[in-house]
Amino acid sequence: MNYAHLHLLLNHVPVIGAFIGLGLLLISFFGKNQDLRRASYIIFAAMALMTIPTFVTGFGAQEMIKGPSVDPLIYRHEGSALLSLWLMEITGTLALIGLWKSQTTGLPSRGNVAAVLLFSLLSVAFISRTGNTGGDIRHPEIRPAGEVTTGQPTIKEEPIGAFMAHFEPDPDKFTNVMTYSKWWWTFMMAVHFLGLILIVGTVGLYDARIMGFLKQLPLAPLHRLLPWGLAGLGANIITGLLAFASRPENYVFSSAFWLKMLALLLLGVNAAAFYLTDAFGEVQALKAGEDAPFSAKFIAASSLFLWFAVIAMGRYIQPLTDTLLGTN
Amino acid sequence: MRRVCLVQIFSFSRTDRGKSFRIPRALKERNLAVPYFLNTIEQSSLSVWLRETQSLFGFYFVLLFHTIGMSLVVGANAVVDLRILGVARDIPLHPLKRLFAIMWVGLGLNVATGLLLLTAYPTKALTNPDFYIKLTFIALAVYTMYRMSIQVFGDASMSETAMVAKGKTMAILSLVFWIGAVGAGRLLSETARYFFYGHPAGG
Repeated sequence: MNYAHLHLLLNHVPVIGAFIGLGLLLISFFGKNQDLRRASYIIFAAMALMTIPTFVTGFGAQEMIKGPSVDPLIYRHEGSALLSLWLMEITGTLALIGLWKSQTTGLPSRGNVAAVLLFSLLSVAFISRTGNTGGDIRHPEIRPAGEVTTGQPTIKEEPIGAFMAHFEPDPDKFTNVMTYSKWWWTFMMAVHFLGLILIVGTVGLYDARIMGFLKQLPLAPLHRLLPWGLAGLGANIITGLLAFASRPENYVFSSAFWLKMLALLLLGVNAAAFYLTDAFGEVQALKAGEDAPFSAKFIAASSLFLWFAVIAMGRYIQPLTDTLLGTN
Repeated sequence: MRRVCLVQIFSFSRTDRGKSFRIPRALKERNLAVPYFLNTIEQSSLSVWLRETQSLFGFYFVLLFHTIGMSLVVGANAVVDLRILGVARDIPLHPLKRLFAIMWVGLGLNVATGLLLLTAYPTKALTNPDFYIKLTFIALAVYTMYRMSIQVFGDASMSETAMVAKGKTMAILSLVFWIGAVGAGRLLSETARYFFYGHPAGG
């Protein structure tokens, strides 16, 4: 197995997920089905997470097949991915905000629904284009008639593609902007550290209380800290992806980087196991001095372990930066 | 090797008054005022091992626990600060006193790992002005943390309103100082003047 396998395994997930999420959201407008709307929001949040490994494995796959006959096609695909990635992340974030707000009121606000609808439409449009341009790399049969597909390929855009291409960034220019000033880079990394501190302070405290530490605290109020942890997570996803996308070669050959991505995905599973089961309700009902059930303690302990793994593997990206060079 | 110290620079400019107030090139190229004991530390077996070992438990392991310690002390302190500033108001304040134990553990971990990191790169750290800015921020933040633990959380009979009123300024200062410390820490690698004794950065 190699990066190309991983990328092919993952790359259909965000496209299909975005379509299913949008479909459920649209259906939920007929007859106001709140369960369907909630399901679509959960799918958008999950797809925002799944887009990250899809994006990062793309650079690994590129390393494996690059050459003059495919480079322009890969370059176009990369530019398209750089745009649809952020659209997917924004949609997922808006959905998470909606889910958070609907805890108290029961349903997300009109403004939130409108924003999710807008960004999910944009996401579906641009992630389809990313999927298409990715398919073009290896499937000459789907490319427009008259396009040269051997030797030095020339890219011929059909009208819709040509229109969408206007919005897509140039990957090389993106790298230049990001790495132009070492102060900007340092600023991004400082924000990454402050985000880490917010996550450990809030999520770590919540998990530790579930496990039995600081039992004088009731759990529902502690959960109010979580938006600060999520803000930290958001800041870290933004700064982390910006850093990765501007210097992917520093990351994709480091075994620690892939373990960090794996730990992040498992944290998504962990969050689902907590919030989509009875565990969350049971924990929220705990008053000062009360003990959490074993299942909740297990979820909290694995969350703490996985966050430790994320930090540890993040720290080891640099010393292990070339451990995977030449293994594929 | 002849060492040049600050006294010689000052005496030099005094005796040659009127000729030149500049330090001549030949002197400039020496490692002005970088004390030799930094080299001694750098050549010690612990320092060399930390930097050069192929083991995963060398420099980066220490750095990892420096990061963990930071997240414990700053994370716990930030949560207390945010609560005092009005976030998640229904968390009872008095039990948060126990978070200070976590902060001190984190600080202890960071003093220990920090000393090891300093052993690995003494010249790089101690010749960098930013390192002293970082230490100043940490000292201010830790002093604020200590004051808060005594003046806000020290009296179990104090009402929550009184605690919030008393702690507000400290909470803001604490956040500012910690952000300064983390920012200055991130800047260290960009502002280093020497990588090793006798090896100026970027030159």
